[in-house]
Amino acid sequence: MLNIKTKNRILIFLSIFVLSIILTIFLLKTLRNNVLYFYSPSEVSKSDENSLKNNIRLGGMVKPGSVETDNNKIKFIVTDYEKEIIVIYQGTVPALFAEGKGVVAEGKLQDKKFFLAKRILAKHDENYMPPELKESMKQNVK
Amino acid sequence: MINFEILFMNGYGVYVWPSFIFTFVICLGFYLKTNKALKKLEKDFIKEAESLSKQEFENLKKQKIAKEILVSHSKN
Amino acid sequence: MIKYLNPSYIFNLTGKILSLVKFFIIPIVIVGIIFSLFLSPEDYIQGDAVRIMYVHVPAAWISLLCFGTLSLLCVINFIFKIKSMSLIFKSLAPIGLTFNIIAILTGSLWGQPTWGTWWAWDARITSMLILMFFYIAFILSYKFIKDPLNSSKICTLISLAGLINLVIIKYSVIWWSTLHQPASVNLTGETTIHISMLIPLCVMLLAFLLYSALIFLMKYRIETIRVKKKGLK
Repeated sequence: MLNIKTKNRILIFLSIFVLSIILTIFLLKTLRNNVLYFYSPSEVSKSDENSLKNNIRLGGMVKPGSVETDNNKIKFIVTDYEKEIIVIYQGTVPALFAEGKGVVAEGKLQDKKFFLAKRILAKHDENYMPPELKESMKQNVK
Repeated sequence: MINFEILFMNGYGVYVWPSFIFTFVICLGFYLKTNKALKKLEKDFIKEAESLSKQEFENLKKQKIAKEILVSHSKN
Repeated sequence: MIKYLNPSYIFNLTGKILSLVKFFIIPIVIVGIIFSLFLSPEDYIQGDAVRIMYVHVPAAWISLLCFGTLSLLCVINFIFKIKSMSLIFKSLAPIGLTFNIIAILTGSLWGQPTWGTWWAWDARITSMLILMFFYIAFILSYKFIKDPLNSSKICTLISLAGLINLVIIKYSVIWWSTLHQPASVNLTGETTIHISMLIPLCVMLLAFLLYSALIFLMKYRIETIRVKKKGLK
């Protein structure tokens, strides 16, 4: 049905396609650490001592009830439900920063338990709903 | 009287309005540019068609696309 | 069947659809804007910043859709050598690029009030930026490479690489930790946008799709007339 030229072109196309997919997978595997925007507390606690010297981003949930503010200073616990890290930050936080919500902190690890943040970003989740609905949902839970 | 509370959007208006205006301006500009190009091309096409000899022009009219271009442009 | 593939038939049809789209687009855009700016509720955390989503998300979708379609057409063109395919992908690329730029700009305007930053080098945002470069490279290569055979080969290569990037964009929020949130609207899974916000989103998507159709048909006519004009000489 197809002539030889067309068949050849399909072959060329498929080989280039498969080759480029394999190449991309390799590339992404080697770049994995750069592709990750932040590390979770468990990943941080597993990493070696060397990584403590560099600036990293730490991400997770703000543990409910852990936020303490003092003047301009804010202290809270970032958790991924396995490990926890205490984050200390000086400055204003974004409007969406809240307990029980996602957060990304940029800064340096003091040790495996303390993180000195230079910048705080709020991570938003994929849920969108009007405020009244949220209220009624809360009441239903109660 | 416009209700400024609605436009202000609790402080988020500063971000919401520019994003809608950006989108609108970019889309409108792109549309106008494309429309202009289309009109110009149709005009050029007709000019060239008219510069042809009578015989060739009659032949051209038999081609459907050419006819369509000639007709659609004269409508506007 | 042959009748429907006839270029003159298609050209005739584009004219008819064009006037139809022109008739419908303005009311739908107005309804979409009223819905998304005034009628839809604010979000329980983001407040009114959620309204940016109504332009950001459809724009991003359409830019992905355009690239997906044009790379598919490029591959078909490469294998079966169908001449009219090039007309279509030449018309699609500028639309995709426009919406890509809109998506990045509005995303940045959304990021500042919600995340607290204009820009982040996370996987989703960076891969979207890379898509923009693919679009630019694609457009440049069909505009400036004179030899049609060479240009179509290079276009196919670019679109193929872009296709892989497209997959990366889609799954970046699942595979890696990113600042960008995962998809809210899923065709197969659960959709996590409340219906009162989903309606304006759908209306805006329809408006953007109509706009794309409008530009696409105009571009298609431009490319066809160009080919015809060459035939005159």
